[in-house]
Formats: sequence, structure tokens, C-alpha cells
Amino acid sequence: MSQSLSVSLPQQRRASGAVISDRWFSILLIAPAMAVILVFALLPLVYALNVSFRFADLTRGGIGDFVGLDNYRRVLADRAFWASVGVTVKFTLAAVILEMVLGIAIAFLIHSATKGKGIIRSLMVLPLATSAAVTGLFWRYLYDTQFGLINYFLGLLHLPQPNWLGDYTIALWSVVLFDVWQWTPFVALIALAGLQALPKEPFEAAELDGASTFRVLRTLTFPMLKPVLFLVLVLRTIDSVRLYDAVAVLTRGGPGTVTESMTFYLYRTGLKLFRMDYASTMAIFFLYAMLVASLFALTPLLKQFSNRASEG
Amino acid sequence: MLQRDSSFAKEALRYGLIVLVLGFIVFPIFWMIVTSFKPAADIMVSPPRFLFTPTLENYYHAIYDKNFLFYIKNTLFISVASTILVVVAGSLAAYSFARYNVGDGHILFFILSTKMFPAIAVILPYFLIFRDIGKTDAGRFLGIGLDQPGALIISYTMFNLPFAIWLLVSFFQDIPRELEHSARLDGLSRLKVLRKVVFPLAAPGIAVTGVFTLIFCWNEFLFAYILTRKAASTVTVGVESFFTLQGILWGPVAAAATISVLPMMVFVLAMQRYMVRGLTFGAVRG
Repeated sequence: MSQSLSVSLPQQRRASGAVISDRWFSILLIAPAMAVILVFALLPLVYALNVSFRFADLTRGGIGDFVGLDNYRRVLADRAFWASVGVTVKFTLAAVILEMVLGIAIAFLIHSATKGKGIIRSLMVLPLATSAAVTGLFWRYLYDTQFGLINYFLGLLHLPQPNWLGDYTIALWSVVLFDVWQWTPFVALIALAGLQALPKEPFEAAELDGASTFRVLRTLTFPMLKPVLFLVLVLRTIDSVRLYDAVAVLTRGGPGTVTESMTFYLYRTGLKLFRMDYASTMAIFFLYAMLVASLFALTPLLKQFSNRASEG
Repeated sequence: MLQRDSSFAKEALRYGLIVLVLGFIVFPIFWMIVTSFKPAADIMVSPPRFLFTPTLENYYHAIYDKNFLFYIKNTLFISVASTILVVVAGSLAAYSFARYNVGDGHILFFILSTKMFPAIAVILPYFLIFRDIGKTDAGRFLGIGLDQPGALIISYTMFNLPFAIWLLVSFFQDIPRELEHSARLDGLSRLKVLRKVVFPLAAPGIAVTGVFTLIFCWNEFLFAYILTRKAASTVTVGVESFFTLQGILWGPVAAAATISVLPMMVFVLAMQRYMVRGLTFGAVRG
């Protein structure tokens, strides 16, 4: 793989004042970063794992006795927990599918444009600069049933004006719509970059052969875009499963608990109801699910990355 | 002739669609900025008013009555400190991964997998640990208890390092090895090569990584919300303080939101060329 930079001649080694080997040098370089990651990622994990086997109610004296698997059994039997998993799955599926489809469509649309690509791209990156917590808060004003612009426009078109954040059947979709607004440009930008990086020759050859647009898309464009699209899919899915900010500022889990995502339920259990044991157990479940998922999602990605690393 | 008409129609349709899409994307931000200049009497009205006499009263309210610049100051300090830590530790590690391939990819993979880590899974331990540290003298002295900047700086450094390392590795790989080789043969020590050859060449990449980290820290909400109450709160939490018993003060909210969003927009526009690369951890070079 990558060759080291050591200079093999002994006298030059002395001349350059190398007192340590390449190996030690390289380990010293990663030491600070690894220390931070190991201490601040693994330590809290061990802590959470420990708390998940104990009784820990902050309103009743903090971390208490060892209770074995009780918390795990309780979480698995908890309807609210499964409801929050359901919300998370629904949100993730809806948001990711919409963002991928719309994002790819927009990428094709912009790719075919002849003029103004620079300006188009500049405008598209804007939502990515904003925090979901800040713009999400403002979206509440847009969604407002009385003063909101969205319902005003719908009214002009004589369309029904839903209670975006207050209606049980709609609230989650309103959160999805906000997420789609913020993240579709992200998918579009990356898909666009993928499109622009495609080699020209195969497409010219296909045109000479008189292949139909559909066939070119199916046999050339999409297969060649696949790695990029897969990467975007993974990144968006990871983010969506962690949904918190948008729920916190738009609905606070309501109305009732219909928009309560897993992360929001976990937060509420741990820091509103102060059941650290219970919340930590959910965190462990969550982490476990992410690890299993990452085995499937990351392995192909890693292959792609390491192929590139060995080229570099 | 017919041919030209249909291609013109196609072009018109294409740009029509593009304008529609851009409208959807830009409008909420545009409306936020517009609302921030609206007099209070024109905000809570139905139907919404599009014409009004612009005023700065919302900014006045946000800055003087709500002391919003305090949150900006906190955010600036915390974000810049975290960014420096991330960039320094990240650059050293990334160089090592890119050139010496430490751990044969396995360590790098482990680092990427911590990126998958849901922050919420560690937030409760962070809360408890920082609460306990904050009660000790050393913790108070270093400012790493709850509602102190150190707690957020540590959290942000941890959560941005994996991304930064990946992005930086991609930048270091772009630097030709030969330059380092010849510098070594000229008798420079490895540290000198790093300082005099590698880092200057990688400066643009390091700057890009720094700006991305800054944006992520600036916009972070979960940690800021849970680990701070008031003294160390950042803008994302500060905006929430506009929820009052009388309801949400939309004018000042819009003003505060505009103040906190604008600097990041300027950064993002300046970084446009690297957006795709940054957002994919260096995987897509765009």
C-alpha cells in the first residue's frame, strides 16, 4: 500500500536527526486525535453501558444498584419506545426517498441547463448553511395556521389549508417537508457533481449507436453514478435516523407523541423524566442498531475508500 | 423553424422548473430576512403583508432587550476554540494516515464508524460526567462543567474530529509524495518536512476543513441545548429564548435568526467549490 517516506541510507538518517522510527513517528502523529476519540467516545459508552444495568433515577438519588437485564426487558416491552421507533422509521423512509428522488431529478435538471449554473448552485447551498434549530423555528411561522405564508398561498389557490403542526395525521409530514427543504439541495449538489465527473466517451458512443435516452440512463448513467448515490443515501439515512433538532423546534414531539422520534423520546426519558437507566438502555439499543447497519452500509463504502487510498 | 420553437419551449420549461425549485429553496430564508425588517404591527396579520415600511426595531429588540450578541460571543468563542483543536489534532492524524497508512485502514475505519455514532447515545453520560466534573475545583477552574464553554468545546472537538480527519486525508493524498522525498533527502527532519513542505501545501485543504468544522459547531443544537442553560448557551439555543408567555416574538426571532445565519451563509458561498467534497468527507471531489 502506501510507501513510507523513510530514507534508507543510515548516514542520511543520522544527518536528518531522526531519533525515532517511521512507525513511532506515525503513531505519535495520530496520538492526540486518538486520545480524544477514545476517551470521549468510548468512556461515555462504557458509562452508558454501566448505567443500563443499574437502577438510576436522578430524582431518587442518582445511580443505584445493579439490576441485571431489567431495563432491557422493560424497554423491549415499552409501547412508547416502539412507537418512537416507528416514527423514526417512517420519517427516515419518507424523507430519504423524497430527498433522493427530488435531489437526483434536480441534479439532472441543472446539469442540462446551459447558463447560470454558478448562480443556481450558490442559491442551492444556502439551506445547508443554516441550522435546523434556527430555520426550523422560523418554519413554525411559515406553518402558522393564521399568519403563515404557506396556508395563505394555499388559500389563494383554493386548496385545503391544513393545520400543519397541530394535526395528528399531518404533523410528521410537516417535519418531513422541512427536512426535504433543507437536505434535497445536498443530494442534488452531490448528484450533480457526480454527473459532471462522468467521462464523455461512453455517452458519445451510445449516441452514435442510437441508444434511447432511457437505455443510456439505465445502462450507463445510473451504474456509473451508483457509488456517489450510494454514499449520499448512506449519509442521509444516518442523519435522518438521528432526527432531533427539527422535532425539538417544530413540534416538541407533539401533538401527543405522534412526532416523537427515538432520539427525542430518549432525551425526554433521560432529561425530563430523569430515568437515566431507562434512557441509557435505549441508547445502547440505538447504538447497536447503528453498528449493525454500519456493517452493511460502511463495508462497501470502505472498500471504495481504501481502493482510492491505495491509488493515492 | 418548428425545430427551433420546440427547443425554445423546452428551454423555457427547463428554466421555469429551475426557478420553481430555487424559489422553494430560497423562499423560507428570504421570508425570514424580510420578516426581520417588519414592524411588529405587520407581522401578526392575516393575510400576510408584502409591503411595509422597513424598520430595525426587531434587531434593536434582539440585541438590546434579549442580549443576543451575548450568544454570538459564546458561539464564536466555542466554535473557534473547537475548530482550532480539531484542525491541529486532525491534520497531524490525517497526515499520518495518508502517508504512513497507520493501522492499515482499520483505525481510519474505526474513526469513520464513530461518525455513525448517534450523539444522543452519549449525551446522557456526557451530561452526568460534566455535571460531576463541574463540581470539582479543577473542573470549575478549567470551565468544563455543565453550562460552561469547556464542556461544549470538548464535545464539539470529539464529534467533528472523525469528519475532519477523513476530509483532511483526502487533501493530503493530493500532495505529491516526491516533494517530501526530496526534502527528506536534503536532510530535513520529518517534523521540518511537515512544517515547511506539507502544511503549506495543504493549507487550502486545512482551511476548508476548518471552515466546515466552524459551520458545524456554529449550527450545533443538541449538545448546546442539553449541556448549557444560559451562561454558555450558543445561538441555536439563544433563539429559543424568544419563546415568551405571550407567544413567540416572530419579528425578533427573525432578526436573531438572520444575525446567526448570515455569517455561515457567507462562509458557505465562499467555500462553494469545496462544498461537495466537504459534505462527503472527501469521498466525492466535485
